[in-house]
Amino acid sequence: MKNKEDIKHILEQLRYNEEKSVSFDEDAIIAAYQDNNERQSLFIKILSVIGGILASLAFLGFLFLAGIYESETGLLFVGGVCIVASILLSSAYDKIIVDTLSVAAFMIGFALIGVAIGEITRNENTIGAVFIVMALVTLCIVRNYMLSFVSVLIVNGSILALIIMNEQYSLINVYVSVLALLMSCCFLQEAKLITLSKSLSKLYNPVRTALVFSLLSVFVLQDIHWVLPVYPALIWLPNLIIVLIIIYLVTKLFKILDITPLIHKLILYACTVLGLWLTALSPAISGAILIILLSFLVNYKTALAIGIVAFIYFVSRHYYDLHYTLLTKSVYLLLSGVFFIAFYLFTSKKKLTNEKV
Amino acid sequence: MKNIQREDIHIIARHSNLTETEIAKMLKENVYNDRESWQKFFKLFFATLGVGFTVSGIIFFFAYNWADLNRFAKIGVIEGLIILVTGIVLLAKINLTLRNIILTGAAGLVGVLFAVFGQVYQTGANAYDFFLAWTVFVTLWVIVANFAPLWLLYIILINTTLFLYAEQVAGNWSVIFVFSLLFAINTSILIAAILIYGKKIQNWFLNTLALGAATYATMGIIIGIIDRYESAFPVLLIMTAGVFALAIWYGLKSRNGFYLAVVALCSIIIISTLLVRSADGEAMLLFLSLFIIGSVTMSIKTLIDLQKKWSNEK
Repeated sequence: MKNKEDIKHILEQLRYNEEKSVSFDEDAIIAAYQDNNERQSLFIKILSVIGGILASLAFLGFLFLAGIYESETGLLFVGGVCIVASILLSSAYDKIIVDTLSVAAFMIGFALIGVAIGEITRNENTIGAVFIVMALVTLCIVRNYMLSFVSVLIVNGSILALIIMNEQYSLINVYVSVLALLMSCCFLQEAKLITLSKSLSKLYNPVRTALVFSLLSVFVLQDIHWVLPVYPALIWLPNLIIVLIIIYLVTKLFKILDITPLIHKLILYACTVLGLWLTALSPAISGAILIILLSFLVNYKTALAIGIVAFIYFVSRHYYDLHYTLLTKSVYLLLSGVFFIAFYLFTSKKKLTNEKV
Repeated sequence: MKNIQREDIHIIARHSNLTETEIAKMLKENVYNDRESWQKFFKLFFATLGVGFTVSGIIFFFAYNWADLNRFAKIGVIEGLIILVTGIVLLAKINLTLRNIILTGAAGLVGVLFAVFGQVYQTGANAYDFFLAWTVFVTLWVIVANFAPLWLLYIILINTTLFLYAEQVAGNWSVIFVFSLLFAINTSILIAAILIYGKKIQNWFLNTLALGAATYATMGIIIGIIDRYESAFPVLLIMTAGVFALAIWYGLKSRNGFYLAVVALCSIIIISTLLVRSADGEAMLLFLSLFIIGSVTMSIKTLIDLQKKWSNEK
C-alpha cells in the first residue's frame, strides 16, 4: 500500500518524464488510493469470498428451515431484494469491508431466484438464461471487484450448465475458443481497455481474473468425463485458436527478445508448432501454456501460479489417460524431455554467444 | 520510475489525460517483463520440463518392461539411474537452480526405487514404511540442497508417512491425536524455518506450511467438537490457542497480514462449529450467518487498518 507522499512522488515523476503536459485530477487519485478496493492483498479477497459463501449457506439453511421454499413468490421477492440490496450496498460503499455482506446477499439472491424459477417453470434452461441476463446486467451496473468477479463466474457457470443439460457437447469447443480469445484480448489490450472508460478500467482486473478461472473450469470439467465428455466434433477449433494465439505471442516475443535472423525465427516457429502438436488432442494443456505465457508477458503473478499448477495437473492427467501402451507413452515422454533439454541447451548457448559478442 | 505498479497505472489512467499509447508505454516500462526476465523464465521452464518429462519417460519405460525383468535388474536399473542423476548434479557444470531441479527429480526416483522394492518383496505400494524409507533416504539431499520445492516434497512425505503409520500400525491413536501430532510437526518446521532463515525464505513456502498446519488444527478441533471430547482434545485446544497467539504476535511484528487472516478464518470456522453444535433450528442458522458476516467483516477491517498503518509508518 502506498502513502500520500509516494503517490505525489509518482505523479511528479510522471510529469517530469512525459514530453507533453500531463494533467491529473490529484485529489481524485489520492481518494482512489484511500479506498481502493483492488489493492487489497489476495488473502483479504479470499477471506471475504469464503466468508460470503459460508454466510450465504447458513442463511439459505435458515430460509429453508423456516419454510420459505413453499411460496415461489416469496422466494422471488426475497431473492430480488437480496440482489438489489447487494448491488446498492456495493455501489454506496465500494469498500472491501462490505464485500462479505454484499457477496453473501448476491449469492443468496441468485440461489433463491433459481429455486423459484425452477418451481414455477420446471425448466432448467430458463434458470440458466435468467442467470446469464441477471449477471450481465449486474456487470453493467456495478463497479465493485467482488460482484463483477462473481458475475462473470455466474455467466460462465450458466453457459456450461446449459450446454451440459442440453447435451450440446460440440458447442463446448466453440465456447472454449471464444473464452480463449476473450481472455487473450483482455490480457493483451490492457492499455486500451483501461483508457476507454472509467467503468471498463474498474471492471478490468476482476473480469480478467474471472476469465482465467472460467477457461480453467471448462478444462477441469472436461477432465471429469462423465460431467462433460470431450466431444470430437469441432475439437480442432479450440486447438487452432489457441495455437494461433500462441504463435502471435511468439511473434511478440521476438521483439522483446531481440531475435531478428529469419532462420532463428523459422526454427522457433517450427519448434512451437511441433511442441504444441504433441499436445494436439488436449486443449487443456495448450490452454494452460497460453495462460502461463500471457500472464508472464503482462507480469500477472496470480494467473501465472494458477497456470503452472493447471499445466502440471493437465499434463499428468493427459498421460495417465492416454490409451497407448506404456512403451509408447514412455517414448513420447522421453522425446518431449529430450526436446526440452535440447531447447534449454540451445537457448543457454545462444545467450552465451550473444554475450561474447 | 522503479516503484510504479500496475494498480498505480490503472488509477492514474482513470484520472488523467494520458492516452492509450502513453499508458501502454508505462505498462511496458514498469510492469511487463523485459528481455532478461523472459530469458530467465525460458531457461527455468525448459529445464523443469526437460527433467520432468525425461524422468517420467524413464519411469514409464521400466513400468512397460516390468514383467520380463528379474528383481536384480529392476532394482539395479533404478539405483543406476539415481547414481547417474546425482552424478550429474555433483559433477556437471550447470547453475545451482538447475542442479536443485535435477536433485528434486532424483528425490522422486528414490520414491520409485522403494515402490519397486515394495512390489518385488510384496510389502505393498502404500505401506507406511515405504514412505518412511523414502523420507529417511532423501533427508541428506534436502538439507544440503536447501531448495524450497524439495523441502516441500520432504514435508509432504513426512506428513504422508505419519498419516499412513497412524492408519496401518497405530490403530489406537485417535483422529484428534493424529491431527494434533501433524499440527505440532508442521508448526515446528514452520517456526524452525522462520528462526533459521528469517526473511531469506520464500513467502509461498512459509504460507503453504502455515496454511497446512492451521488446517490440521482446525479440522482436529472441529472433529473434537462434533464427535466426542476425548483426552487429546484439550491438549490440541491449548496448543492451538498458543500457536494462534504466537502467529498473531509474529504477524504484527513482521507486518504480514497473512498469518492474521489465517488465524481469523480458522477461529471463525471453529466458533461457527461450536454455535451449530450448541443449538439446532432456524434461529441458530440465522444467527450463524450474521455472526460470519460480522466477524469476517471485522477481521477484514482490522487487516486493512493495519495495512494502512504499516504503509504510513514506512
